[in-house]
Amino acid sequence: MENSKKISGAEALLFSLNAEGVDTIFGYPGGTIIPLYDALYVHADKMRHILTRHEQGAVHAAQGFARASGRIGVCIATSGPGATNLLTGIADAAIDSTPIVCITAQVPVNALGTDFFQEADIISMTSPVSKWNYQVTSAAEIPAAIARAFFIAGTGRPGPVVIDVTKNALTEMLDGFSYEKCTELRCYNDHPVIDTAELERATELLNRAERPLLIFGQGIKLSGAERQLREFSERGNIPMASTVLGLSAVPSDHPNFVGMVGMHGNVAPNWLTQNADVILAVGMRFSDRVTGNLKEYAKQAKIIHIDIDASELGRIITPEIAILGDAAEALAAMKRTIEPRDHSEWFAAAAAQREIEEREIITKDLHPTKERLTMGEVIDGVANATKGDAMIVTDVGQHQMEAARYSRYTRTRSLITSGGLGTMGYGLPAAIGAKIALPNREVVLFCGDGGLQMTIQELGTVLEWRVGVKIVLLNNSFLGMVRQWQQLFFERRYSSTPMTNPDFQKIADAYEIPHRRVERREDLAGAIDEMLATSGAYFLEVKVDEEDCVFPMIPGGAALSDIMFNESL
Amino acid sequence: MENNREYIISVFTENHPGILFRIASVFLRRKINIESFKVSDSPVKGISLFTIVVLVEEAMARTLVQQINKTVDVLKAGYYTAEGQLSQEVALFKVKKAILRGDTLEQISRRHPLRLLQMNGASRTGNNDGYLILRKSGYKEEIDALRDELKERGLLVELSRSGSIILHRETVEETMNGIL
Repeated sequence: MENSKKISGAEALLFSLNAEGVDTIFGYPGGTIIPLYDALYVHADKMRHILTRHEQGAVHAAQGFARASGRIGVCIATSGPGATNLLTGIADAAIDSTPIVCITAQVPVNALGTDFFQEADIISMTSPVSKWNYQVTSAAEIPAAIARAFFIAGTGRPGPVVIDVTKNALTEMLDGFSYEKCTELRCYNDHPVIDTAELERATELLNRAERPLLIFGQGIKLSGAERQLREFSERGNIPMASTVLGLSAVPSDHPNFVGMVGMHGNVAPNWLTQNADVILAVGMRFSDRVTGNLKEYAKQAKIIHIDIDASELGRIITPEIAILGDAAEALAAMKRTIEPRDHSEWFAAAAAQREIEEREIITKDLHPTKERLTMGEVIDGVANATKGDAMIVTDVGQHQMEAARYSRYTRTRSLITSGGLGTMGYGLPAAIGAKIALPNREVVLFCGDGGLQMTIQELGTVLEWRVGVKIVLLNNSFLGMVRQWQQLFFERRYSSTPMTNPDFQKIADAYEIPHRRVERREDLAGAIDEMLATSGAYFLEVKVDEEDCVFPMIPGGAALSDIMFNESL
Repeated sequence: MENNREYIISVFTENHPGILFRIASVFLRRKINIESFKVSDSPVKGISLFTIVVLVEEAMARTLVQQINKTVDVLKAGYYTAEGQLSQEVALFKVKKAILRGDTLEQISRRHPLRLLQMNGASRTGNNDGYLILRKSGYKEEIDALRDELKERGLLVELSRSGSIILHRETVEETMNGIL
C-alpha cells in the first residue's frame, strides 16, 4: 500500500490499521490522544470508532470482538489513566490467549519521565501481561510497529500487544505512506515445525491404550482445528472432554463428547481423567481449575501434551510425550495413524457417570421442585429457545459456571468467557464486542448482579450503537460464588457478599432498553421468547434463589475424585 | 529448596528497549533472587547476551528458561550448571597499604602454602591514597576465598566484582544456528 501525499502520524496509524483489515475499533478519547481522534473525524469513512463508556469497556469489547470472530481486536486509549484502565483486559487477554492490539497515547517524547500531566509508564506496567509491547516515538516508526504488533498478536499462541505512541509521533508529518505486513521475525517462531517421530510415538501410545481420553482447550479454536479434532476422535473412537474455554469447539451433542473437565465440570470427564490410561491433551494448559490436586491428578495416565506454546510443555505436569506445534496439523497427522479401537466399555463407564450427575445434579438444577427459580433452568430455557445456536457470553461467577454447564453449542466460538483471570465486569463489554463483530449472530449475555455493576456503564454503549445484545441478569442479590465458598468453607459467614442493588428495571429503562423482570417459573419461557423475538437489545432480569450453589464442585486443592454433589458431601 | 544449586542462565536477545525489564520480571514474578546479572554485547552486532546466576532447583531453572524463551525479543535462552562452562569473575580489591607493607601478599602466601594458589592470580593495578588496588580474576570461589582472607586480616576496604563472565562450550555462531 503506497501513497505519496503528506500525512500525519495519526493518519499513518489509521491507514496502518486499515492495511491490517481493521474497520472497527473501540476506544475512549483524552488529551494526549486528540490528534488520533482528529484523524478519526476526518477519515470517518475508513474506520468505525465505537465509543465505550470506560477504557476497560473498550478492551473487553475488543476481546469479545476477537474471540467471536477470530480477527484481531483493537482498542485505543489516551495516556495515563486511559492506558492504566486497559490493564485488566490486557492481563485477561494474555492468560486467555486473546489476540488484541491496544494502542495507547503517550506524552511527547521530550516529556517522557518528567511526571508530565497524564503520564504513566505503560510499557513497564504492561510488560508482564502483554505478549509484546513497544513505544513509538516518531511518526516514521508507526507502520512497521503496527505490522509487527498484528503479526505477534495473531500468530503462535495469540495474545495482547501494546503499542504506546508519543504525542509528537501522532502529529509529525510524513512524506507519504507505505505499508508492508510483517510475516516473520528472527527472534520469534510463529509456526514451530512438528516433530513427526513424536507424533508417531503418540499415536502408538494411543493405539495401545485401553482407556484413552482426549482433553481439549481453546487451542482448538485458535488453531481452527475443530474438524481435525472431531475426525481424530471419531476415527480412534476416543471420548473427548473440554476445558471451559474449549467449549463449543465440538457440538455438545457429538456422541464422543463427554463434557467439561474441572472444578465445576461434569462428573464423567473428571472420572475418566482419573481412570484413563492415556490422555491426549491438546491446546490446554492444565490450569489448577482443571487438575485440582496435582499429586492426585490422572495418576494412571500417560499424558501426551500438544501445544504451540513451548513454555506450557512440562510447566505443570510432566508429559510422557510433549509435542510443540499447531493443533490442527498435529491432529491431522495423527489421524492417519490412529487405529479404530472398540472402547465401548470405556464409553459405557462414562455414560454411567453421566447418569449419576443427571440424577444427583442436573435434574435438581433444571427441573427443581422448589418454588424459587434456579440459574440452570434459565440457561436451559435459553438453550432450548435458541436451539443451541446462540453465542453465549458470560461474566464471572456462579452464573458463568452454570452457563458453561447448561448452554448447548452447535457452532464453534460460541462461548466467550473470562477463564484464566476470572475478570468480573468482562461480560457486558465482551458481549458488545462480540455482537459488533458478528451482527447476525444471536448474542446472549448471562451475568450476575455483581459483575454487571462493575461495567454497567457500558449500557450507554448499547444505547448509542443500538447493539442488539440480549442481557440475561441472573439476580440472586449476592456475590454468589464468593458466598458459596463462605457457605461451604467459612461456616456461612457472609462477609461483604450480600448486595444492596438498585432497581435494574429502571436502569434498563433509562438506557431505553426493553426490559422485564421474572420471578415465577410460569413466566420464564414466555419472557425468554419475548426477549428473542425482540429485535435489538433486551434486558431480562431473573430473580433466582439466593443461596443456591454450583454443584458438582471439586474444592480448591482437592483431588478430582473428591467431588461434592451437595453441601453435605 | 535443599536441591538448590547454582545455575547460569544465558540469554541471547535482540538489543531492544524493554527486554531487560521483561527478563527481570520472569524472576520477580516467582520471587527468585538473582545472584548475579550481567548484560553485554555478544560477538554478533545487535544481539545482547544476558548472563544471570540464580540458586534454584533444576525444574525451576527449566521453567525460568521456558518463560524467558517465550519473550518475543529473545532469540535463545538456556541454563547450565557452572561446571559445564568456563565461568569466571574479575574482582578489584582495595586493601590497606600500611599493613601490607610489613606483611606482603607473598609473605602471607608463603606462610599459608595452601592459599598460595588462591592468591597467585592477584596483581597490583593501583596504588593511591594509602591504598593498594589488587585485581584478581578466577573462579567465584577463589575470589570469595581471597575476600575472606583479606577481611579476616582487617585489610579489606572495598571490593567490586564483575559477576560471572562465561565462555560457552559452543560458539555463539553454533548457538544461534538456524536463528540468524
